[in-house]
Amino acid sequence: MIELSHVSKRFGDETAVDDISLRVAKGKFCALVGTSGCGKSTTLRMINRLIEHSEGDIILDGQAIDAYDPVKLRRRIGYVIQHTGLFPHWNVARNIGLVPRLLKWSATDVQSRVAELMHLLGLPVDEFGHKYPHQLSGGQAQRVGVARALAADPDILLMDEPFGALDPITREKLQDELAKLQARLHKTVVFVTHDMDEALKLADHLVVMREGRIVQQGSPLALLQSPADPFVESLLGGLERGLKQAALTRVKDHMTSMGPTLPAQSRIPGTFSLRQALSMMLRDHSDRLTVVDQHDVPVGELSLRRIIKEAQLDNGNPRE
Amino acid sequence: METRVSNSLSVAQPHKKAPQWLWPLLWGALLMMSVFAMSAAEPLFRWIEPDARQVIYDRAGFVTLLGRHLFVVGIAAVVTIIVGVAAGIAVTRRWGSDFLPLVAQLASLGQTFPPVAVLALAVPVLGFGTLPIIVALMLYGLLPIVRNTLAGLQGVEGDIKTAAHAMGMKPAQILCQVELPLAAPVILAGIRTSVTINIATAALGATVGASNLGDPIISGIVNGNMAYVVQGALAIALLALTIDSLFEVLQRQLRARISDD
Repeated sequence: MIELSHVSKRFGDETAVDDISLRVAKGKFCALVGTSGCGKSTTLRMINRLIEHSEGDIILDGQAIDAYDPVKLRRRIGYVIQHTGLFPHWNVARNIGLVPRLLKWSATDVQSRVAELMHLLGLPVDEFGHKYPHQLSGGQAQRVGVARALAADPDILLMDEPFGALDPITREKLQDELAKLQARLHKTVVFVTHDMDEALKLADHLVVMREGRIVQQGSPLALLQSPADPFVESLLGGLERGLKQAALTRVKDHMTSMGPTLPAQSRIPGTFSLRQALSMMLRDHSDRLTVVDQHDVPVGELSLRRIIKEAQLDNGNPRE
Repeated sequence: METRVSNSLSVAQPHKKAPQWLWPLLWGALLMMSVFAMSAAEPLFRWIEPDARQVIYDRAGFVTLLGRHLFVVGIAAVVTIIVGVAAGIAVTRRWGSDFLPLVAQLASLGQTFPPVAVLALAVPVLGFGTLPIIVALMLYGLLPIVRNTLAGLQGVEGDIKTAAHAMGMKPAQILCQVELPLAAPVILAGIRTSVTINIATAALGATVGASNLGDPIISGIVNGNMAYVVQGALAIALLALTIDSLFEVLQRQLRARISDD
């Protein structure tokens, strides 16, 4: 668990981070979102003491971070940055094995851990283990960056715009993989991004920052339903907000049981989002969809009226 | 499949290595020929100086002169490398950054000071002989090493250093495992410049009584014997070429270690 209470950071006269408090429960994914220069990266770096905070308390698993030796603290926190920061003179396997070696694991343990991680991130050891960073594509290099951060199995993972430099297709793919990875590993993640869609897609807890302060925090749905001010609203996409909310809601949770009428032609898996359902309705000129399970067996149906009514209900009575 | 790949590699490697060592071996062989068998070229030097009583410099053997030359350059190189690299490291640390401008200026001052002037100033203090020339070489050779150490260390990307720091590496580990290996090609280039320049500059030592390959040149100028001058210059040039080509090989191997797989 990570807890920041009334934390500030000043560089000379300038206040980069101003009295922020936030709490990331164990195993949760927290995204810090904001425009550049809003203090989100500084906040992240204060957690592993790359930057020392000026005021307030940062507590990790019940203990203030000032009580930890900074080097030991960092070895138990995974860290991923935008341009990977891989060591160009080390091959992939050696890069990934860095922290375990610092922790003096035996050579065989390091080797098997590296193989395990490379497998986990879809990088075959035989093909990539001996490559050097400059021989990798941007997406591959960032996978190595994530593997390196996970190498010593830290409970906490800090990610500073990890996918910011990737092309949109690779970025989306890595976001999906990160979501899957997180569902398996349940790390406590603090993720910095300026891309609201990325944050909405990945986060359990969303923190919007501006000029060093937290403007609003809460679950992505809660923020979408009631943005605190015009700034948060514009960050959340203004008019697109309805669609973004629909993107976070699964078809399965809003379908009705099969009606007496003939089932609709268009079929949609229950795990898809309402946004995808809306898109399918527009494409197929239909206001009804048949919801199917993973074996393509119809389990219910979803109508346009239902989607609109749900949205009304959601906004009238926030569920969280 | 696997064996075929490794076979072709092992066949290819000797082919790749041969031209690499070609130049140092060639220059080295020519240097050895010149110091061990200078007298064999007597007819040539006789043609240069038909009237001189003697055309082969013989006040000391060329092997001895070469040994002394290497000794002077070697001592100066070892000291400048240690001092220069250490200074470069020190001023790029956080605790030493205040001295960065000072060190950069001092090092470039050493370069603007002509070695002859250093000798002239050093002789009254240190006396005649080998010591003043070593001091002159150290001052003169410091700049390229300090400058390149600074450039090399400052050229390591900030992201790489941040990542090293964030992974929990200690400052000494970051320096030895990340910064120095990445800066090594640039630092080595500085050492190469420094040593090659000093091989030539060391000849000045002969003017203050340090006996080395500069002796035949000075003695040739004093006695008006062009053959002596050519002999000294030839040996010094071949020595410089040998050492320079050795550095070339070293640099290429260092680069290959980083970029080859």
